[in-house]
Amino acid sequence: MEGDFTMGIISRKTLIMFFLPGCIFMGIFLIYPILKMAIDSFYTFDLTGASSFVGFDNYIKAFTTASFLTPLVNTLVYIIIAVAVELCIGLIMALLFEHQYKGNKIIRSLILTPLMIAPLVAGLVWKLMLSAQFGIVNQILKDLHIIEDTNSILWLADRKWALLSCTFADIWLTTPFMMLMILAGLQGVDSSMIEAAKIDGANKLQQIFLVKVPNIKPVLLTALSIRIIDAARTFDIIWAMTQGGPNNSSEVISVVIYRTLTRYNQVGYASAMAVVFVIILIVFTLVFMQSLWNPKKE
Amino acid sequence: MTHLREEMGRRIVIVISLIVTLFWLFPYLYLISSSFKPGSQVISIPAKFFPTQLSIENFSDLFVRVPAFKYMANSFICAVASTIIAVILGALASYAISRSGAKLSGLLVVLVLCLKMIPTSSIAVPIYNIITNMGLYDTRFALIIVYAAINIPFVMWTMISFYKGIPMTLDEAACVDGASNFYTFRKIILPICMPGIATASIFTLFLAWNDFLIALLLTSTNAKTFTVGLSEFLSAYSMDLGPMCAGAFIFSFPVMILAMFAQKYIVKGMTAGAVKG
Repeated sequence: MEGDFTMGIISRKTLIMFFLPGCIFMGIFLIYPILKMAIDSFYTFDLTGASSFVGFDNYIKAFTTASFLTPLVNTLVYIIIAVAVELCIGLIMALLFEHQYKGNKIIRSLILTPLMIAPLVAGLVWKLMLSAQFGIVNQILKDLHIIEDTNSILWLADRKWALLSCTFADIWLTTPFMMLMILAGLQGVDSSMIEAAKIDGANKLQQIFLVKVPNIKPVLLTALSIRIIDAARTFDIIWAMTQGGPNNSSEVISVVIYRTLTRYNQVGYASAMAVVFVIILIVFTLVFMQSLWNPKKE
Repeated sequence: MTHLREEMGRRIVIVISLIVTLFWLFPYLYLISSSFKPGSQVISIPAKFFPTQLSIENFSDLFVRVPAFKYMANSFICAVASTIIAVILGALASYAISRSGAKLSGLLVVLVLCLKMIPTSSIAVPIYNIITNMGLYDTRFALIIVYAAINIPFVMWTMISFYKGIPMTLDEAACVDGASNFYTFRKIILPICMPGIATASIFTLFLAWNDFLIALLLTSTNAKTFTVGLSEFLSAYSMDLGPMCAGAFIFSFPVMILAMFAQKYIVKGMTAGAVKG
């Protein structure tokens, strides 16, 4: 009924007039490319641009060769490390910055400043800091006698460390976002519940984990899902720091897709990888959103 | 006694907060200090935090080596123009969605959400083909329309949550009084939604300004943006790290300042969806 009524407010014509311009833009530069990608994934293209239909060959190739599976695993590792650390530090920061005192607004806005910095710049800064010879991180570690020589840990040139090093930049850049979300959630927690817990003799840790955290669960889940999707799409940071190297050890999916397209010019194969990637993301989001929104409706 | 202990606890919290903040700002402070070092000191061994002498050598090197002003102008024009287009079109389209009846709008919201999370790298090649076919490769116009298109879902997502907060009786009242739909939107809905428009604009502005992948793909010389110019110092020799730092500093300084002033809107934009659930 409500639907019918509101249709009356805006005539169909105006509705279309409002909606169409934006729709055309999205149609040309978002929806058409997505459809094109889905179609291309069933073809191979030779150097002249001629295409031939190959069925699911590109998909079979993706799931049977390391050129897709390794970046897939790398992306997962990257997401898990980055998001888990961001969640922990973000929670600690939020609990810390929750306290009211003179000047806490200034400190809070200072810590939020990385939020808007370009991921590329974050990558460049961390590349500089993590450089083996003239990087300041190794110098500090050496001064603290944690490592003996500034060449002991080659953050960006060692296969063991490269992916982890890239997560540093991600963590630095987006932990403030995590903190902000959790802080917003904490401000919504009813203070009488905390008072009640105090009277019942709960200590600080119990107050945090038994009262505060369960109460901000929806906020935590939303923040997590946003961050997981963003981390899955990471390109700039990796490109700035390692370009996927050394030996593809830090190659994530968006990097391998970009490289397959631009350097190897395998449009069909790259499209197949992109389709798999997009499907994983969409399924993840829908499942996550479903479990997120439905319990609240009951 | 308890009062004293509470006071102590409060002080400890303040001190820890300050330490955490300083620690977190360290990378940025290091970037600033590096850009004001003489070029050779950026890569000195052992690495030092403070410059032993201040110098603007890195900045002058930057401007000698690359047309930094031109890159900056390209970034700025593309970011501002695409933001204006994306916000106007996104605000109109999402108004239509939010007032168009429940079933349709639910479906569209899911669609917008899906579009919002499409990884740019995956649609890079079709976009590249469209732009080259239109003969727009390496033009600012190409960047403007692509940024606008990619950011429209984001604007719509933000605006829909704002429109939801406005009772539909307001539209109805205007309608009954004989106002046209466009008049209602412009004179009644839009003024109430100004915070939403501000939030959406700031985010789109930053997204376009900070973009790297699309500019890397669609530009070569004329329309090259600052991020692409900056990334080219990567492949060069390590001697170029000084100008690179200076460039990174110049590029992100306005962002930091604007972010400080617009923090209210940024916080609102990031937490709006979350807190309401």
